[in-house]
Amino acid sequence: MAANTLSVPVTRTRTSFPWGKFFSRFLAYFALTLGLSLTLLPFIMMILSSFKTNLELLRVPPTFWPERFTFENYTRIFNDPKLPLLRFYGNSAFVAVFNVCSTLFTSSLIGYMFAKFEFPGKKILFGWFLTMMMIPTQITMIPSYLILAKLHLINSLWGLVIFSAVDAFGIFMLRQFCETLPTELLDAARIDGASEWQIYLRIVLPQLGAPLATLGILGFMQTWNAYLWPMIVLQKIEARTLPIILTWFNSTHTGQGALVMAATVLIIMPILIVFLFFQRWIVQGFTMTGFK
Amino acid sequence: MNLTMKRSKKSTGGLAIAKRRFVTGVTVPLLLYESLGIFVLGWAFVLMFFDYSSGRIGGPILGLGGSNPFVGLRHFIEMIKGTSVEAGLFRTSLRNTLIFAVAILPLNLAITLPLAWLLETIGSRFKALYRTIYFLPVLTSSVGVALIWMSMYDPQAGWINAIIRFFGGTPFSWLSDPRAGFAGVSVAMWAVILAYLWQDYGYNMVIFIAALQGIPQELKDAAMIDGTNAWQAFIKITLPLIRPTMLFVCVMTMLSSFQVFDIIQVMTNGDPNNQTQVLMLDIYKNAFRYQNLGWAAAESFVLFIIVMIVTIIQMRVLRTDWEY
Repeated sequence: MAANTLSVPVTRTRTSFPWGKFFSRFLAYFALTLGLSLTLLPFIMMILSSFKTNLELLRVPPTFWPERFTFENYTRIFNDPKLPLLRFYGNSAFVAVFNVCSTLFTSSLIGYMFAKFEFPGKKILFGWFLTMMMIPTQITMIPSYLILAKLHLINSLWGLVIFSAVDAFGIFMLRQFCETLPTELLDAARIDGASEWQIYLRIVLPQLGAPLATLGILGFMQTWNAYLWPMIVLQKIEARTLPIILTWFNSTHTGQGALVMAATVLIIMPILIVFLFFQRWIVQGFTMTGFK
Repeated sequence: MNLTMKRSKKSTGGLAIAKRRFVTGVTVPLLLYESLGIFVLGWAFVLMFFDYSSGRIGGPILGLGGSNPFVGLRHFIEMIKGTSVEAGLFRTSLRNTLIFAVAILPLNLAITLPLAWLLETIGSRFKALYRTIYFLPVLTSSVGVALIWMSMYDPQAGWINAIIRFFGGTPFSWLSDPRAGFAGVSVAMWAVILAYLWQDYGYNMVIFIAALQGIPQELKDAAMIDGTNAWQAFIKITLPLIRPTMLFVCVMTMLSSFQVFDIIQVMTNGDPNNQTQVLMLDIYKNAFRYQNLGWAAAESFVLFIIVMIVTIIQMRVLRTDWEY
């Protein structure tokens, strides 16, 4: 369909308008823009609905543009005493930040060790990581929950984060990066009297900036949007993270679509704004690492 | 490996001791943490042979035995030919999961591959913008996606019924009408499939775009000089060259659609009449609502095996042994 320059006969003179090319370009742009609008429309409708009154939202046929922009839904959410939104943002932020920090620390340290050190049992340990990476969460979900229940960590944000402090995938990725670091550099530092921890902190870590940023952003997004595991662990309302609060809010406000849409905007927008700022890195990260 | 350690110790003395101390300092906590992982895995494996409920106080070891009796392979036999409600529900969930995954993969590829190819061939200035927008739903929380689509599927005020009314059709309760179906798949299932596709397709788009960018320009030029048209070039050159990516995309799409949970739990929670009950949802309900954890563990093992088999088959089918 597109860019089909050679299907235009070569005998045609240069001056004639390349209809074939024009037409295929037009079709290509049409398809791409159609996909684009179908992607954007639900977002636009969500935002517009959040500024409507609930009465207007229930009208048949629905209005596209709000008749009267109202911030009532947002003020109601902010002033709802049963919905301390800041607390839930705090919960989500704590879980995401803690998770990112712990996995970045463990992944870089362990990845570095696997790349640059020889020790007995290294292959076995690494093989174990390989296996762990392939075991899906649904297998480990039930015993993990039982352990947390035994440790009285249900409803605790710490319970949510302890099982994901070590990330096999991150270790893999950073091991690959550490292998490219010149060993001479590390040895030079050793001869200068640096301790092994100093080498890790002062020499290895600064070199890992780009992969750490990628891993960190992706991990942040994953944790921020996580649903199943937080829902199992956090049963008390005050302890919940944003996605679970959103379902809870929806189930307690049936028939108040505009209000629910405003809550949805408040909960999904921060991450999309982060994405728009870091989008090049994020897209690169996703294609480079291939995990979501 | 022991040998190399010893040799380095001889040559560098104190440095080797420092190195060894560092390795020990890292591996010992790591081993402790990983043994927790082994323990969890072992528990998961044992649990599926017991009729275990966390509400009962069983035997002394992990609550197994006693009022949580050992049942051997009975869970699995029940799954295959049992007549109990939960066995029936398991088979329904399994069927629904297969339907969901089998529908998602071709639909996803049919959208993402042509769109990525178009975007790559026209070499637009707006490529980055297109890519950014296609990627937005991937980063949106599944709960948010589910709520947005629920408002669009709303029987009264939803946009989808508004469009149907506009063209003179009869509006429909997309997420709760148990009667109708299309191609043997219930309407509610199609509705969640569509929402899932919308959320997920940008991911594969980005992967395909990266793969298409990786094809050397000389190959495309050579094909053009040989007089192939764009379609032939796509079939004969592009497709074979992105086969590793195709494999990756197929495996990842299948894996995530077999494990679908969030969007369905929010949109339908398995209704109407269990028409959208998928395996993960069934596992979740059995484990955390009915406290039937032994049964749920057995179910998750079945899901794991299916996922493994599908992955292995896809790797066999789409394997390539050469590079360009």
